[in-house]
Amino acid sequence: MAQETVFTPDIKFVRELKKAGADTLKKCYQCATCSVVCPLSPDDKPFPRKEMVMAQWGLKDELVKSADIWLCHNCNDCSKYCPRGARPGDVLAILRKSVIQENAFPRFMGKIVGDPANIWQALAIPVVLFIVVLAMSGHLGIPEGNVVFSKFFPVHFIDMIFVPLSMLSVVMFAVSISRFWKNMTSGTGMTPKAGFMPSLVETLKEIMTHAKFRKCDENKDRSVAHVLVFYGFIGLAITTALAVFNLYILKWESPYPVDDPDVLAIFGGSTALVWIVKILFKLLANASSVMLLTGGVLVIKNRLKERGVETLTSSFDWLFAGIVLLVGLTGFLAQVMRVAHFPAVMAYGTYFIHLVLVFYIIIYMPYSKLAHFVYRTVAITWTKMLKRDVEI
Amino acid sequence: MSAKTILIVGGGISGITTAVEAAEVGYHTVLVEKNPYLGGRVAQLNKYFPKLCPPYCGLEMNFRRIKTNPKITVYTSTEVESVSGQEGNYSVRLKVNPRYVNEKCTSCNACAEACPVERPNEFNFGMDKTKAAYLPHVLSYPMRYVIDRNACKDQSCDKCVKACAYNAIDLGMKPRTVEMHVGSIVYATGWNPYDAARMDNLGYGRFRNVITNMMMERLASPNGPTGGKFLRPSDNREVKKVVFVQCAGSRDENHLNYCSAICCMASLKQATYIRERIPDAKVTIAYIDLRAPGKYEEFLEKVKADANIRMVKGKVAKIEEDAATGDLLLEFEDVEGGGKIHERADMAVLATGMDSSVKDNAMLSFEENGFINGGKAAGIYSTGVAKRPSDVTTSIQDATGMALKSIQSLVRS
Repeated sequence: MAQETVFTPDIKFVRELKKAGADTLKKCYQCATCSVVCPLSPDDKPFPRKEMVMAQWGLKDELVKSADIWLCHNCNDCSKYCPRGARPGDVLAILRKSVIQENAFPRFMGKIVGDPANIWQALAIPVVLFIVVLAMSGHLGIPEGNVVFSKFFPVHFIDMIFVPLSMLSVVMFAVSISRFWKNMTSGTGMTPKAGFMPSLVETLKEIMTHAKFRKCDENKDRSVAHVLVFYGFIGLAITTALAVFNLYILKWESPYPVDDPDVLAIFGGSTALVWIVKILFKLLANASSVMLLTGGVLVIKNRLKERGVETLTSSFDWLFAGIVLLVGLTGFLAQVMRVAHFPAVMAYGTYFIHLVLVFYIIIYMPYSKLAHFVYRTVAITWTKMLKRDVEI
Repeated sequence: MSAKTILIVGGGISGITTAVEAAEVGYHTVLVEKNPYLGGRVAQLNKYFPKLCPPYCGLEMNFRRIKTNPKITVYTSTEVESVSGQEGNYSVRLKVNPRYVNEKCTSCNACAEACPVERPNEFNFGMDKTKAAYLPHVLSYPMRYVIDRNACKDQSCDKCVKACAYNAIDLGMKPRTVEMHVGSIVYATGWNPYDAARMDNLGYGRFRNVITNMMMERLASPNGPTGGKFLRPSDNREVKKVVFVQCAGSRDENHLNYCSAICCMASLKQATYIRERIPDAKVTIAYIDLRAPGKYEEFLEKVKADANIRMVKGKVAKIEEDAATGDLLLEFEDVEGGGKIHERADMAVLATGMDSSVKDNAMLSFEENGFINGGKAAGIYSTGVAKRPSDVTTSIQDATGMALKSIQSLVRS
């Protein structure tokens, strides 16, 4: 008996992919050069050749549960050697974006953040929210005197907004990821050969060292930029956690006076020790933002330089790179303006923009490009559980 | 008064065909070839389609038609320096490069025996050497030796002159210019194999056992560098496992952005060369699509039926060398089976495509793919592979057609 396989192409999905930047995908003629030149593609069921034909046929269901598209680090060795200019590397980047959107919970947030055309909507939410909170608490205005950011936007208001929303965002992210995990692991016909935790640990180690990223041939520079952004983000996350710790546990408030009696008591009355802690804290904050800034600039520089051979990337990626850079820039500028006694309106304005962008990065994490760090971690972990990952 | 002569540029199978066909209808033809022999790429083949006979059966017949027809003038070692004028009256200047051997040559080989200098044999793609005094190939037309003065390091050496009993060698020969008027011109300038070294992932030029399909024809040929034995270049060991790499540069926007039309059939044919001579040899053909148009499909089916020939859909995109053995490690994805294949082979044959040999000529108009569409002015035509990548049969049919076109041009003007 002849076996019959019926495909139901999702034409709308194909159109969406092409509109989002994967306009080259139809050029692919399935020669499989890409699967061979990719340094990260496993021998068994390699990518990205099969993803290219799935995308051409609009097999959305298959692609949404693909772990392989997350193994791709967009080296674009494939795009360099592709004989048709089908740019598999870029197509996979768009597919990853679609998967983030597809698994987003709630779905409409995926649409708002996922489509760069909706950027104004996405920014309007924090702007309106902030103005409402400030107006209701009677803080809407430019405070007199020296620039102290907490006078303009009291820290506990910020926390009032960010802490519950971040927690909500984490829950949403968890729902999105569990959707993704279910999609990815069900119906693959493959049984895991290794446990979740060891695979996760191995994955995290790999991510910390960027071992996969450094296997890229075609645009090695990107791994340097990514390392900077990556550790910049981690540093700033620690900074934020420490700031919360200082405020709520130590009750030590900005600008962190070294003669605060409660704090002095903790450090055995040594002003020098408190001073050192303060300096270390400030150093971490500034070093992290410098890394983020430098990394962000490099990311954009690489993207511009690579326009020929390597990645063209979607506006989704561009948007995020831009926002990361602006967060770093506005944060840094706000501080400079404060210290250098710029007009209050400028300093507070920059600070406000900074907060809006921070909102974008933190609260929209499950839906933006940043979501990739969880999706990728989860997908690589699953791949390692299946033992189909390449040797690094 | 308009000229009643047709100039044919290029003395391969297409140019010969146009020249002979037009002359046999009664028109004067001038056949110009830059090599010191006629026959072009066909002369380098071991066998050719459709009948899989050695090239000489077709070429010899044509050489005979040339020899017996006083209306054909042949210039070898000759290049076209300039063309001007219009249909019916083109002024042409030819540069005839010295052969250093005149028509008294009997091809006795005494000069080559006496010659102390060797040169890479370009007819065999550098896989062996000839003396500086040499016969281009066993059935050269004209059957006359040549002296490669670029290879004579010692320009005062006259050992060949002394060895020649017929006074056939004249080392003082100078280039000469020939001017003529012709009514129409046919460009049959053919092709060059695409430079395989430009595909940095396939290792040609770095790994000795990666060869091109044209080199394979020479290896298979009884008058080739190995006398027809399939000895791989690194250690002259007979091959047991060969992989054919299809579309090596063709259908690739980074190289030749078109199908070269002949490489699929060439590799299928070459697979049979190996299988006919080495009973236990194994052959893999890795392809994107196999193109066997028309009757060639029967040939494809015949090759497919051989249990020792495996065809895999998937392009070879990486070749590495095991430095200790000289073996090659080829990597490709089996698209139908779904998995990467790492294949060890004695030798890899790159099915390199056809690159137009004339790229820049103010008189000609070119297709987007670099092949010659025809003249910018009336009365100039192109034929054979100079016009489009094609096999011998198609080239000959086209060349016959162009004989008629060029005659019509003469009659018209």
